Amino acid sequence: MASVAQDPASTGPGGPEGPAQSRRALPGWRQIGSRIIALREGSIIVITLVVAIYFSANTSNFLTGGNLETLLPYFAPFAILAAGEVFVMILGEIDLSIAGMYLFAPIIYYKLNTSVGLSLGLSLIGALLICVAVGAMNGVFVSVLGINSFVTTLGTLFTFEGLSLIISKGTPVATPGGQVPVGTFGKVFGAGTYSELIWAIAIVVLLQVALTFTRWGLYTVAIGSNKLGAAEAGVRVNLVMIRNFMLCALTAGLVGIFEAIRAQTVQPNPAGPNEILFFAVAAAVIGGTLLTGGSGTVVGALIGALFLGILKDGLILQGVQANYLLFYTGLAVIVAMTANVFVGRARRGHGGSD
Amino acid sequence: MIDPADQQGGVPAAEAPDIVPPTSASDDVLRAEHIAKRFGPVTALRDVNLHLKKGEVLGLLGDNGAGKSTLIKILCGFQKQDSGEMFLRGKPFEPKNVDDARAQGIDTVFQDLALIDELSVYHNLFLRRERVFKPLPLLSNRRMKREARTALDEIGINIPRIDVAVARLSGGQRQAIAVARTVNSDADIILLDEPLAAMGAKEGAQILDLVARLKEEGKVSIIMILHNYVHVLQACDRVSMIQDGVIALDKPTAETSVEELTEIVVNEYRRAREQSHREEAQAAGSQPPA
Repeated sequence: MASVAQDPASTGPGGPEGPAQSRRALPGWRQIGSRIIALREGSIIVITLVVAIYFSANTSNFLTGGNLETLLPYFAPFAILAAGEVFVMILGEIDLSIAGMYLFAPIIYYKLNTSVGLSLGLSLIGALLICVAVGAMNGVFVSVLGINSFVTTLGTLFTFEGLSLIISKGTPVATPGGQVPVGTFGKVFGAGTYSELIWAIAIVVLLQVALTFTRWGLYTVAIGSNKLGAAEAGVRVNLVMIRNFMLCALTAGLVGIFEAIRAQTVQPNPAGPNEILFFAVAAAVIGGTLLTGGSGTVVGALIGALFLGILKDGLILQGVQANYLLFYTGLAVIVAMTANVFVGRARRGHGGSD
Repeated sequence: MIDPADQQGGVPAAEAPDIVPPTSASDDVLRAEHIAKRFGPVTALRDVNLHLKKGEVLGLLGDNGAGKSTLIKILCGFQKQDSGEMFLRGKPFEPKNVDDARAQGIDTVFQDLALIDELSVYHNLFLRRERVFKPLPLLSNRRMKREARTALDEIGINIPRIDVAVARLSGGQRQAIAVARTVNSDADIILLDEPLAAMGAKEGAQILDLVARLKEEGKVSIIMILHNYVHVLQACDRVSMIQDGVIALDKPTAETSVEELTEIVVNEYRRAREQSHREEAQAAGSQPPA
């Protein structure tokens, strides 16, 4: 660590000594440690491990199968939401309307199934298509019309939370496909114990591959890093931006339906989704995605969500009074983010290739 | 050809610079006629006539704000002119965007380089021309790295590591990457907007050497915005000077000199100063000086 931290000082702008120093052999553990830090997600991996080890040591039942089952609902939905949000945040934008989609999608899903009479599968697809259309609208407002994404998506957030209340008349209803006995459809889409975890991992892997190994991902980073430059190089900036907002709305709608099926009821109450929105953004930021754009990882967001999940779960297991939960979470987020920034600086100075 | 230096050498003329009329040669690859472009109240280009012969290196000169970069951005399809026509290899040329112009063989190094700081050297080199594992849409990073290394070696640009983010490179190296990206494309017309900006003498010499090598090969035609007259005379076949939104001079470099080019600019400054004096005088309510 010490040698890593020294590097930024010795590396001038484009100084040739940076690469040379990073190549020198480090013995054993230090080499492994240096490798992990060289990863973009390295710092949050270390921090999450530390927190997990702390709770395993200090509570008797953190490392039990039963607890891991309760941990999953804390973590998987945030991971999926954050995965979509990362694609928007790397652009240097933000999508607040994911809370709106999270609330709106299950209500449309319910209506399509009960009022229109579509099958469960078609209702799901229909609800998600509507989410994607809203995402496209966000994207057009932000990229083509040049309206700030915070303002645009704040507008769509309120609009669709409002529409959710209007359509549902504010009354909770039983989620189609989520009722006991739960069928295969329900088990696949949220009700199965590991359903959301499997979805989360599949989506994160898929999107990380898209981000790292496809043109789409490359252009996303390019736009976030240098929008004018990307346009001059011939990147279709508007198209990429619209596509990313569509993806973000899609993941939000999907999680909304998962959670409604898991909870068996569609709750038209904006309070929950609004809190979830902030946890999703926190997961992305803790995972190393910059709010200023140009840099971020989906895997990091998954680990950021895991960190938040472990923290909440561990605090509950430790018997922390419910009133203190948010307070401790807040402090932990600040500490984790600060550590993240410092380790990140060490990493950049360290000269690891991206 | 009208020689502004001769006309204006004696009594400093107060009127706007002369306009070089549309000219053409049989071996023109690119021609622009009567190009005009306004940005709101600002007229960037009034009436620009420019042509580029096959295999030629044309130096584009002009004061800050004269419209050089605007002209380049129109030629490369990034912006659209308000009026005027362009011809590429004799056919009307109306690029829809940068990609379209590139597909027709015009590639550009912009003044801001259009480099993506967060991306690696090789990703920048292949931006919009990425190599993929067909038919899969996955990037073939290994192939891009290998081809980037070969391309940079061929061009003679020394970048120690091509997998680092370009944010970590020096100004000269960044410029070199931007030039290499363009040269490495299949373009036969290359537009360079101040390729020597932010460069040390040694790095600048490397870029000029590269231009000289490209000229020798004779496959590409180049328009290059430069500020240093010595560089222009050294690297270019012909020089066009933009003043006040028009091309005011168009000469083979062999027929001009640093002195003549300097003289024109000095005259331009003199004219601008007189103009502003006259306006001040008018504003004060007195008669303009005779």
